[in-house]
Amino acid sequence: MAENVIVVGGGIVGTSTAYYLAKMGIHVTLIEAQDIAAGTSGACDRAIMLQSKAPGPMLQLGLHGARIYETLEDELEADLEYRRGGGMILIETEEEMTAIRELVERQRQAGLDIALLSGEQARELQPGLGAHLLGTTWWAGDAEVNPLKVCFAMAQAAQRAGAAIRMGSKVTALLSERGRVVGVEAEGKRTYADAVVVALGVWTPLLLRTIGVELPIVPRKGQILVSERVPAFVSHNILSGAYIAAKHRKDGGKEEAQNPAGVGLSLGQTGSGSLLIGGSREFVGFDLSTTPQVIRAIGQSAVRLFPKMAGMRVIRAFAGLRPYTPDGRPVIGPVEEWPGLYVAAGHEGDGIALGPATGRIMANLAIGRPAGCDVAPFALSRFTQ
Amino acid sequence: MNDVIICRCEGVRLSEIEQAIREGASAVPGVKKRTRAGMGPCQGRVCQRVVLQLLQQPPSEAGESPDALQRSRSPVRPTLLGDL
Repeated sequence: MAENVIVVGGGIVGTSTAYYLAKMGIHVTLIEAQDIAAGTSGACDRAIMLQSKAPGPMLQLGLHGARIYETLEDELEADLEYRRGGGMILIETEEEMTAIRELVERQRQAGLDIALLSGEQARELQPGLGAHLLGTTWWAGDAEVNPLKVCFAMAQAAQRAGAAIRMGSKVTALLSERGRVVGVEAEGKRTYADAVVVALGVWTPLLLRTIGVELPIVPRKGQILVSERVPAFVSHNILSGAYIAAKHRKDGGKEEAQNPAGVGLSLGQTGSGSLLIGGSREFVGFDLSTTPQVIRAIGQSAVRLFPKMAGMRVIRAFAGLRPYTPDGRPVIGPVEEWPGLYVAAGHEGDGIALGPATGRIMANLAIGRPAGCDVAPFALSRFTQ
Repeated sequence: MNDVIICRCEGVRLSEIEQAIREGASAVPGVKKRTRAGMGPCQGRVCQRVVLQLLQQPPSEAGESPDALQRSRSPVRPTLLGDL
């Protein structure tokens, strides 16, 4: 059994993995190139939305994660702005209505009692919705959280439990001996361990390539607008039907031609009162720029769905890189050809919802314990064999 | 009155910024994410230079790295969503 584990990456997956390892009494060192939450986990929205997860393994992992969040503030002794306020998907067209009806039916079979509301019912529950909406879904179990607070709280709780955290230290190589990964090299310094967990999100392939392992994680840019502080405006997660279509679509379809930047509305309100208004899904490499066209398109879709938002001010826009995989599922598990090496990455836009659950699973796997749930659908071997 | 407000938009005090630096923030974005300094309507125009100076006491290499400062974010000035 591993007694000594290195975690590479200080996002939500890496900090969660380090926390659960330290809690089990494992000697853990987290090594991060910049700072906690410096990458994707610090440039995203706040949704823990289950009704939008693909039915099957992703929904199961999401349910596992949602249960962890229910008690996480007490466990980490921190305010995470966790709120179980429910969530809705907005339906504007008959085409969306057909697709959403299908999704709702499948989710109901999976055990989520999602309701379909008429436009009138929805406007009662969420004042400010546009008059043209045909309806919305509603599920009370959706929640939200401040992802920055989760990352910092996980890192601090890991430290309190004995974890060492090295920031500003970029891992440039994986060390191997006799066919086994035995440590890492960072800033010229070698550190050895029984197991190495790589949780580098979109940057994971760059490190694994150094020992000949290829995995198909690709950065997919998402732009998000931030409003000035406004009085309570939305109290739950809101997604547009167009967002769902962009999330689940395959490359090259008709929708891609009509909406190349994958713009669809996601809306939530932070503890400070700002609205987070997303988003887009764009394949443009590691580019993190925000673009006037996409900012405008996101703003227009917000005002179309919530006419009152025309009078609110945007104070900034930012972009994050979501780690996309071809089948929409993350990679969580061992690298078969390199004993001692593990990967937890590729959650695309689901990292906040799934991060703590992934960390707990990864901590178990890295020390040779059972994962605690079915991880076969997330095996790296589905891409390499 | 030693604990002055550094970020006026978000009401972030000197002690909070020093605490963030002790917790490992090594550049302006790290302070911003821990304290909200620079997240308000002026987007760091007022406080960013002061935060950078605090990061450089004792002098470090942070100031020479292009990542040390937060990016200027579109749309630069608060803009009505209806005007987009």
